[in-house]
Amino acid sequence: MARSAKAVPWFLFAAGGTVLSFILPVMIFTTGIAPALGLFTDALSYDTMSAFVGNWLVKLVLFGILTLACWHAAHRLRVCAHDFGIRADTAVAVILYGLATVGTATAALALVSI
Amino acid sequence: MNPRKPYVRPISKTSWFMTQSRYKVYMLHEISSLFVAIYSAILIIGLVRLGEGEAAWQGWLDAVTSPIGVIFHLIAFVFALIHTTSWFKAVPQAMRIQRGEEIVPGKLIVGAHYGVLAAVSLFVLILAGVA
Repeated sequence: MARSAKAVPWFLFAAGGTVLSFILPVMIFTTGIAPALGLFTDALSYDTMSAFVGNWLVKLVLFGILTLACWHAAHRLRVCAHDFGIRADTAVAVILYGLATVGTATAALALVSI
Repeated sequence: MNPRKPYVRPISKTSWFMTQSRYKVYMLHEISSLFVAIYSAILIIGLVRLGEGEAAWQGWLDAVTSPIGVIFHLIAFVFALIHTTSWFKAVPQAMRIQRGEEIVPGKLIVGAHYGVLAAVSLFVLILAGVA
């Protein structure tokens, strides 16, 4: 049977879509909307956050979510580019998967340094 | 010149999805990925800032709570909900669970997903210190 490399980005897209559908709304609320409302000021303080993200389990979970988010978005945006009439699929794929790689690597480095 | 002069329905390559409402809905949930990408970038920058020290972290928090930051996150939140609802809606088509002779109805599978969504959300909110 012919093997296709499509399975890899598609798996990351599907796994990412599933994980994000559960976690993304509450995450955007917690880190993006709550601070403006004056909520979770203790949890989002420097000391609490560094201690929280300093935990290896938290690092692992955050890395998993961010990696899946990057690759899910990259793959879906590649399809979007096609839907918007951009037919240079190879260039689009290189740029988007490249950005996803940069995002994954930056997240890994940042998490290791905390 | 083609002597047959076949009729080619004119379809715009860049705005074809504006012709039907179900295409617009499709585009709406596909575009959610743009907000997933930007939000992920913001969060990754936040982790980098957290590693750089207290002043850098405060700078990131200030950016998030700036008017542009708040407007972005509100729009991203709406698109996250669009992603979640459209993803759950597609689950019964992708996942068929058979129990004995019966196929578990799609409504039950979707309902279970909303249950997990509520549990996960509650867990994160409790973790962040509400309740």
